[in-house]
Amino acid sequence: MIWNSWRQRLTYLVMSAFVAWHTLAMVIAPAPDSSVLVGTLRAALQPYLTLFGLDNRWDFFAPTIGSGSQLHYSVEDAAGARHSFTPAEQVSWFHPAYIWSRDWHYGIIDDPQLYADRAGALLCHEHAALHPVSITFVEYEQGEFTAADLSSGKHPTDPEFIAVKTVKTVECPAA
Amino acid sequence: MSGRVTLTRFAHDRFAALSRAWSQVWFQDSPTSPLELARIGIGAAILLHYTLAFPYIFDLWGDAGWMPRDVVLKIRDPWMQSVFYHFGAPWEWVAFHGLFLLCCAAFMVGWRTSLAKWIVLVGHISYVYRNPMLAYGVDWIVASLLFILCAAPVGRALSLDRVRAVRAAKVGNIEARLPPYSSVWAGACTRLMQIQMAVLFFYSAISKLKADIWLNGDAVWIVFTTSDYHNRIILDVLASHYWLVNLATYGTILIEIAFPFLIWQRSTRPYLLAAAIFLHLQFALFMGLFYFSFVMIMGHMSFVRPEWLARLGAAWKRAMGEMEMIYDGRCGFCVRSMAWFLAFDGLGQIKVRNFRTDPSAIVSDAQMEKALYLVLPDGRALPGFEAYRYVVLRVPGLWWQVPLFYVPVLSRLVGHPLYNWIASHRSQLSSIGSRAVAGASRQQQG
Repeated sequence: MIWNSWRQRLTYLVMSAFVAWHTLAMVIAPAPDSSVLVGTLRAALQPYLTLFGLDNRWDFFAPTIGSGSQLHYSVEDAAGARHSFTPAEQVSWFHPAYIWSRDWHYGIIDDPQLYADRAGALLCHEHAALHPVSITFVEYEQGEFTAADLSSGKHPTDPEFIAVKTVKTVECPAA
Repeated sequence: MSGRVTLTRFAHDRFAALSRAWSQVWFQDSPTSPLELARIGIGAAILLHYTLAFPYIFDLWGDAGWMPRDVVLKIRDPWMQSVFYHFGAPWEWVAFHGLFLLCCAAFMVGWRTSLAKWIVLVGHISYVYRNPMLAYGVDWIVASLLFILCAAPVGRALSLDRVRAVRAAKVGNIEARLPPYSSVWAGACTRLMQIQMAVLFFYSAISKLKADIWLNGDAVWIVFTTSDYHNRIILDVLASHYWLVNLATYGTILIEIAFPFLIWQRSTRPYLLAAAIFLHLQFALFMGLFYFSFVMIMGHMSFVRPEWLARLGAAWKRAMGEMEMIYDGRCGFCVRSMAWFLAFDGLGQIKVRNFRTDPSAIVSDAQMEKALYLVLPDGRALPGFEAYRYVVLRVPGLWWQVPLFYVPVLSRLVGHPLYNWIASHRSQLSSIGSRAVAGASRQQQG
């Protein structure tokens, strides 16, 4: 009888501790690290947040919305000719693969030193029929596009709104 | 001395009041039904999502794919763990993905939920951490909600686990009723999911309030001009009615900021819930964020009050009318089949009558020797296959059988002879079933 009463109290205590801990984790994870208190709590919670995939700022489309970039690449063949490709156009917008490939493209654009070599190697293999010598990744970055621009018959992807930047050139291994 | 006693009593009273308030917030005896809705929806969403990923598993998460293992091991935090870090041969990826999809399906239908939910969580986190480059908002939301569902006692309602438990109770006594599950821990986990959704909305709103594009009311325009969400028709409409851009931008902020504060009140909850669902339907419809929107809506299911569901169930039951199934209680096969069938009737819409002990005034014993009957409130009696066909459309737990019973022409063409054959051979089927049951019990005893 006494054991049952203690067991109930212990269960209540454990449940209370868990909900308090997890609520703290949910609140601290997205909080800005501007204060010492948040920083200290975050340091204590970080392993828990990371291990269970709970660490996110929940800042969807904020504070700013990227103007939008599209990855293009060109394959240089043995004769020196260049063949251009827009990989985003090869996947249906409705398929999750569109989002996966878009994220991959942003990865290549944002951190070419880390991701472009593997992407280049895969594309060299994919376009083996062209006897590729190198793959050049290019970012098409969109500029500001207003409602007035649209009303005057322009399109967000018109050359005047696009800045083209070379991201990286990856050499293909000799066949 | 009396001052010390007064102080002690005051402290004791305060502590007791605090403790009561804590229990009221966290530990109210609640059913799991709101969490079960979230389980079914999130299970279905991740099942579809990862099924569509099957053709790409080596590209997305393989060692020869987009993210080399050495790169991810270099950039990862030591607490980021993935089963894929330990895989070597391609068959291991395929086998794990297959197992993971099976567990997603089991999680969705609530079969062996207590085990399946943990495999789903571990699998999902493993995919996210094997290639963090691919993870976006919804992946983190899924992880957060899955974690709470893992902690919660889900699978106790709207699940195959519940069906199995009800069926086991009914095999011994067909009239037996298993009381619906409820616990204080279910209440605590429902509250955790609600807080998760409120926190998510709050920080989403706060981050928007820091930027001029949101404060100026232009954010929605910018979204639709980017190549990721470009839609010419929407842009044309927005350009000619720019006030719609301002309305959508400020409306988003207003809903997100109001949600975490007004969702708790009884009177405002329906409106905030409807607004949040409306917001996510817009994201799905106009931005193509189907997976994200669906998962968010399922997270919002934690705010659905169990009494709303109970009222909906009662209204459905009233609209469908009473149904009485008359069966042969002497036939073991019929009793076992009836126990399975009734186990799916979560709303208790079907009444049963054993014609051997309680003959019906509407259906004669001679008719009952040939087939099971369903008697409707208007006095109509449907025999055999037609009885089942009528019921599966009207009992929500049996809707999964609708495709079998309602294929034009074919269902009746196959269903009638099949039912008649089973009905005429039910005594043989009963003896086979009894032998199997006896054998199983002997094995258990041995």
